[in-house]
Amino acid sequence: MKSRRRLAVLALVTASAFVTLLGQLWYLQVVGGERLRELSERNRIRVRAVPAPRGILYDRHGLPLVENRPTFTLSLVPREIENREAVLGTLASLLGVPAEELAERLEGVPPSSSWPVRVRRNLSPEEVARVEEWKLALPGVMVEAEPQRVYQDGRFAAHLLGYIREASKAELKEQGRRPGDLVGQSGLERLLDHVLRGQDGGEQFEVDAQGHPVQVLRREEPTPGAHVITTVDKRIQEVAERAMAGKNGAVVVLDPRSGDLLALVSTPAFNLDAFTGPLDRESWLRLIRDPATPLLNRVFQGEYAPGSLFKLVVAAAALEEGLFTPFDRLQCPESVEIGRSRFRNWEKVDQGSMTLYEALIHSCNTFFYQLGLRVGIERMAHYARAFGFGSPVGIMFPGERAGFVPTPEWKKATSRGRWFPGDTANTAIGQGQVLVTPLQVARFMAVLASDGILWKPRLVNRVQDHAGQIIRTEPSLPAGRVGLSPLVFQFLRRALSGVVNDGGTGQGARLADVEVGGKTATSQNTSGRNRGAGDHAWFAAIAPVESPEVVVVVLVEHGGMGGQIAAPLAGQILRGIFLEKRAALAARGDHRDPG
Amino acid sequence: MIQVDRRLLLNLDWALLAFSLAVVSIGWVTLVTVSAYGFRGGLPLRQLLWIALGLVVLVILASIDYRVWVTYAPLLYGIGIFLLGMVLVWGRSAQGARRWLAVGGVGFQPTELFKVIFILILAAALGGRRWATWSWGSLMVPLGLLLLPVVLILKQPDLGTAIILLPVAAGMLFAAGTRGRNLGLLALGGVVASPLLWIFLKDYQRERLLVYLDPGRDPLGTAWNVAQSKIAIGSGMVWGKGLFGGTQSRLAFLPERHTDFVFSVFAEEWGFVGCLLLLAGYFVIVMRGFEIAEKARDDLGHLLAVGATTLLAAQVCVNIGMATGFLPVVGLPLPFMSYGGSAMLSSLMTIGLLLNVRMRRFMFP
Repeated sequence: MKSRRRLAVLALVTASAFVTLLGQLWYLQVVGGERLRELSERNRIRVRAVPAPRGILYDRHGLPLVENRPTFTLSLVPREIENREAVLGTLASLLGVPAEELAERLEGVPPSSSWPVRVRRNLSPEEVARVEEWKLALPGVMVEAEPQRVYQDGRFAAHLLGYIREASKAELKEQGRRPGDLVGQSGLERLLDHVLRGQDGGEQFEVDAQGHPVQVLRREEPTPGAHVITTVDKRIQEVAERAMAGKNGAVVVLDPRSGDLLALVSTPAFNLDAFTGPLDRESWLRLIRDPATPLLNRVFQGEYAPGSLFKLVVAAAALEEGLFTPFDRLQCPESVEIGRSRFRNWEKVDQGSMTLYEALIHSCNTFFYQLGLRVGIERMAHYARAFGFGSPVGIMFPGERAGFVPTPEWKKATSRGRWFPGDTANTAIGQGQVLVTPLQVARFMAVLASDGILWKPRLVNRVQDHAGQIIRTEPSLPAGRVGLSPLVFQFLRRALSGVVNDGGTGQGARLADVEVGGKTATSQNTSGRNRGAGDHAWFAAIAPVESPEVVVVVLVEHGGMGGQIAAPLAGQILRGIFLEKRAALAARGDHRDPG
Repeated sequence: MIQVDRRLLLNLDWALLAFSLAVVSIGWVTLVTVSAYGFRGGLPLRQLLWIALGLVVLVILASIDYRVWVTYAPLLYGIGIFLLGMVLVWGRSAQGARRWLAVGGVGFQPTELFKVIFILILAAALGGRRWATWSWGSLMVPLGLLLLPVVLILKQPDLGTAIILLPVAAGMLFAAGTRGRNLGLLALGGVVASPLLWIFLKDYQRERLLVYLDPGRDPLGTAWNVAQSKIAIGSGMVWGKGLFGGTQSRLAFLPERHTDFVFSVFAEEWGFVGCLLLLAGYFVIVMRGFEIAEKARDDLGHLLAVGATTLLAAQVCVNIGMATGFLPVVGLPLPFMSYGGSAMLSSLMTIGLLLNVRMRRFMFP
């Protein structure tokens, strides 16, 4: 086997590899040595990330909901700092902040690191000038311009947009994140963080002894974050927020023709600005412990008794099952006796016999106690679930509540005892254990408005990259159909109109030129937070009744009577919406026909 | 079992041992300068302990006849494969790769040990064959012996070691007399199959290879390492910056400067002249290895010596090629110089193997 020739070949291959290496060394050390020595002498190369601007969130008409503006960030390059304490001390006095706060940002960063560490954001121009003046005494200090979120009004759509914060320790473990990177923490900013954040670029550049950049050696451009076109209508959102000013509650505006969410309001809101800067312990605790729970998004995290809104479910069930017709009548006394208890109406007088239409527009409780007993809890629960109650709407945000539809089985299983006819009566007027979220109510109203489409409401229309290329579109999706007779839907819409326009409980929502339909509800606050602090006021509206274009749901916590409090607010919002729509229509008309 | 035979000692290759120890000393001094730059203080002392342990292992390896070692090769191979499997399950991970097994608090890299085992098993598989009758079927055994560990090592992932087994296998197959045409076809097959390799790689490894093809791709990561390494080497110029004079290394511009990029530290301090001498030292060792192969008593010794020599040569060339920006960064220690106990043991074991073959060249069974 031993072959001298083959061994010689191997030795020759190895020798030529060594010669090649020597050639490469010659090239680096002798030919290029001068230049490379100079580079190493001047110490010389620095790196920095070129932050990618975060994508913009737009409303459905292309109006920005948040914007970026260049802001100044102060960074330190640990390796360049000779005396950490002295540098931090000087900076602290220049910026008027405690040195410990700056030192905290450098914690755990090895002193040999050449990556700049962001120590303070949002420097004012004066602060920038002061730092630049002292530059010579501050080796390793850099001030850079970075695009950052700026809010005109930090409370506008706060829950919807969500806040961003510098990445926490846990978030830093994720690939490609560096300390000081901003991460969406709630709302759309969190939901779409992966598309909004883009990808940071990087730069290798030469610096002189003072640390001033001399020349960019290599640069990789950042990929800006993608833009997100939401279904929200900024103007409608503004109108709804204005209406809710000073009140706690929620507003949902939804287009029943597409399932698009046009506005989502939860009050009180928090201030997005409070989160971008350094948030101290005190203000954090204030937010967390605020009894008005500003961080809670009442639209889908708040569960409330639906009150009289639930009468629509009972009516639908009774009509569809043929247990009751629009021509039948029932009494509306001051009270009825069920089992051993008396169940009262909210009007203290006997109103005589009523049709279903009348009972709905006057919201007679005693009528619906009786009707509810005829329908029975099983059928009531079945219809409520078909309308989407008791299960999450699927709005993509974390923490959505499902609401609750009680049944005798549930009561038994949780050892709350036997189901009594009184329970059925209570459920029929939306009291007792039944719970809904404002978003579920909006979806339910859209079912009535659209002859049965159960939407999976849409919040994002499409995602575009910075060049305008569409990356992703989100189609609007019906999650199901509620297959009732069209006659039932028609009857219910007529009744909704009657509530507003035929002397019903919701006259406060009436508009001069648009036929509004709706249902009032005053839900007793018998469980959960702030029990007994006053009734919640509901109004759920569709408009125009003939061919509904919007659903508006208003909830005012502890507001009082739905008709007195919520209905006028809904009216105000609807007026704004239709003014807006008419203006848009006119604008489009102008566009088509410039003459 | 360890018998001290006067004839064995007489035939000991003192020159090979001396050159190896000289390079080991150069490496150790370089480590001292690295830690003098305020980086990992306890490093040189620990490396000294590993060197001492390595010399003990070297003596043991050289004392027992290599034919005995080869009879144990299948068992050792089995143990080696088992350890490689263990690493994947229980291994300690660092920077996204599982390469370490902890033995009594000391980290150990089975891949390093496996390099030596691989030479033994391949020699065992090829040793008894008549080279003129090589067929495709008989190639399948060595090929299987190669692919199993390569897949396991890629899983860790340790691209450098997986790649370094290939020239070793190629060198031994070639020396064993495999037809040139068959070897060429195997190489072609390897090229065709290399896209398969892609799926085994971690993102950072793919990135390194892409950076090699397109240096503008990642100015901050791997390209930054290579750029800094080239600056360090080049700035040494002809005579170097002198002992403890490496500014690049001191300023922490150099990544991994005690392990994979230790050559750059050396080159910065000692310049082209120093590099020339160091390469000459490696070259003498390698040529001595080929000479031992040539003079080996039997086929087995011949193959063992070729394997050991190609392993050393390939590691030196790939590592320095990497530091000079000539080859992609695959992560591989420089024999005798990089910090790391397992690597030092395996390098000294290869020398032990060479000494073993050389010592017994006049002995007949």
